[in-house]
Amino acid sequence: MANLPTPLERFVQGILPENPVYRQFLGLCPTLAVTNGLKPALTMALAVGFVLLCANVIISLIRSLLKPHLRIVIFTLTIATFVTIVDRVLAAYMYQMSKTLGPYIPLIIVNCIIICRCEVCASRQSVTAAAADAVGQSIGFGLALVSIAVVREILGTGMLAGYQVLPDAWPDWVIMVLPPGAFLTFGLLMALVNWIDAIRTEKNTGRG
Amino acid sequence: MASAATPVNENRPAWLRDNHLFQAWLVLMLAIIFGTCLAAVHINLSDRIAENKLNESLERIPGLIWNEGQGGTSVDIVSGKIVVKKEDRTLYYPVFKVTDEGKLAGWVVKAAGQGYSGSIELLLGLNPAGDIISGLFILEQTETPGLGNKITFPDWLDQFPGQGTKAPLMVVKGGQTPPGAIDAITGATISSKSVVGIVNRAVSETRGLLTPEHIQFVERSQ
Amino acid sequence: MDYLFDIMLISITAALINNFVLYYFVGICPFIGVSRQVGMAVGMGSAVTFVMTVAVFLSWTITTLILVPGAPLSSWVAGFFMPAQKAATMDLTILTYIVYIFSIASSVQFVEMYVRRFYPSLYKTFGVFLPLITTNCAILFACLTVMSNIVGVESPEQAWDLGRALALGIFGGVGFTIAIVIMAGIREELDLCDVPRAFKGTAITLIVGGILAMAFMGFTGVDSGIRTAVMGTP
Repeated sequence: MANLPTPLERFVQGILPENPVYRQFLGLCPTLAVTNGLKPALTMALAVGFVLLCANVIISLIRSLLKPHLRIVIFTLTIATFVTIVDRVLAAYMYQMSKTLGPYIPLIIVNCIIICRCEVCASRQSVTAAAADAVGQSIGFGLALVSIAVVREILGTGMLAGYQVLPDAWPDWVIMVLPPGAFLTFGLLMALVNWIDAIRTEKNTGRG
Repeated sequence: MASAATPVNENRPAWLRDNHLFQAWLVLMLAIIFGTCLAAVHINLSDRIAENKLNESLERIPGLIWNEGQGGTSVDIVSGKIVVKKEDRTLYYPVFKVTDEGKLAGWVVKAAGQGYSGSIELLLGLNPAGDIISGLFILEQTETPGLGNKITFPDWLDQFPGQGTKAPLMVVKGGQTPPGAIDAITGATISSKSVVGIVNRAVSETRGLLTPEHIQFVERSQ
Repeated sequence: MDYLFDIMLISITAALINNFVLYYFVGICPFIGVSRQVGMAVGMGSAVTFVMTVAVFLSWTITTLILVPGAPLSSWVAGFFMPAQKAATMDLTILTYIVYIFSIASSVQFVEMYVRRFYPSLYKTFGVFLPLITTNCAILFACLTVMSNIVGVESPEQAWDLGRALALGIFGGVGFTIAIVIMAGIREELDLCDVPRAFKGTAITLIVGGILAMAFMGFTGVDSGIRTAVMGTP
């Protein structure tokens, strides 16, 4: 197990170097669907973070009991349970938000990020590493969601989290809060990430 | 991990090792634990969720019967449903009876229908006799932001209170609205027509049925 | 007549107007991952349609018979343990998500075994995609839509019957196939183009997806138009 990353490495990796959205292309459904405003995006990131943390910790605790052919069944069962809990808690305490997010909360069950982290990290490493990994990946996921949501909400409505930030004269780019805006914003941001990345590698190789 | 577990398994009799149920003991145990958790969540939260669902409509109701600031002193709202029998099918309208100090103050009918994109759900307030609209509120809609979603704006909805329900409401374009007509939103004529259509249909289908005899009231749980 | 019309509207809405991929963003992973060649896209699309139909059938049956409050099977079983009045309001909807994901997983397994055994040529077309489908959001989304039309309605009489549910399942899958095949066609041509380096790969696919979504927005309102044309009133 010497070659597996330490908890700290796991934590840092999740945020940028192995960002689940921009690098691993995982969990794209919520990334596109709930980013027409900052508030739903943040709620979604928190919900995914909670489920990921709980699932990672539990899988890591029982990792020595897992049998290879029943592994996926146990992952799915754990994830589905916590998603149901999140869904009910949202419906009970944040009713409007749970209506806005609608089916995308239950769709966390099939969010590839969680099952992928259970497989890659939690079923092999200690609880500390699994928890650190979950927190890191959730922050990475949250950052990606927020980056898209901020662009879409400001351009689409001139507001951020419900507060006016652009002058009233701003003609709302309605297309940004509609489905096509999600694809366009995400595509452009991904190109930006690739571009910055290319510049950085060029610099590094030039120096080396 | 697997190597550590193998010797233990070797000691068990073959019938036990090959039994599928025994192999899945972890799954079954987790299922029982998680099932208990879910049952606890359900018992604690289900009433609250149901209450949220009902409150969403209840909160709006006083504003649909009285204009701002004229609310009654001891308002009581009872919910129920109206059953409308048509030639080939049965329709249901959730309806709220609003009383103030024991006197009937008005009715609120929940109606839904097709909009420009997706369905529109609205609350329609009517006076005790059911012949004048006292308010309108859009509960749910998925119309185009910036155009169709103007149907939720108060300055458009304010055209409805005071309209009579004897004749169906009309939709006109161009700002000048005679009584009995609603001005269409520029660029969203279909959304405006959809809302007016839902209102007209709800009014005509519940006509004569807004009396306590025709309504199946829901018993309050407490 | 009214019923057929309803089915037709559900189908058109699921396939074109509110396309699963381009309007609801479900099934984005295969939409980007498996859309390099038209042949593969057709295989993936037919696999999704097939599994979606089976999964919607299963989830409709389970929801109506067991999960929904007052469902016949669960209240019959509960009748042995508690007074009949309490048994009739037995609410198991909290289990829906767990039940759905396992019914999807088992229907994928079942479809794979069945197709491999009885239709080897069909298995060659889309067999390799079947295991991937379990984590395809589009399938679970279809099941959830069916659920919200059974559990979330005002009175039991308004709940969807099996015909409506199957229409959503089949045409949701058809809509997915349409979107992914169009995308694959565009990407085959895109391989011959000089795409800026930063946009290569996923980024340009997303931009193309955005333009496609814009094109599909043109279908908005088609259903209310048809309704007006047939019924006479909006």
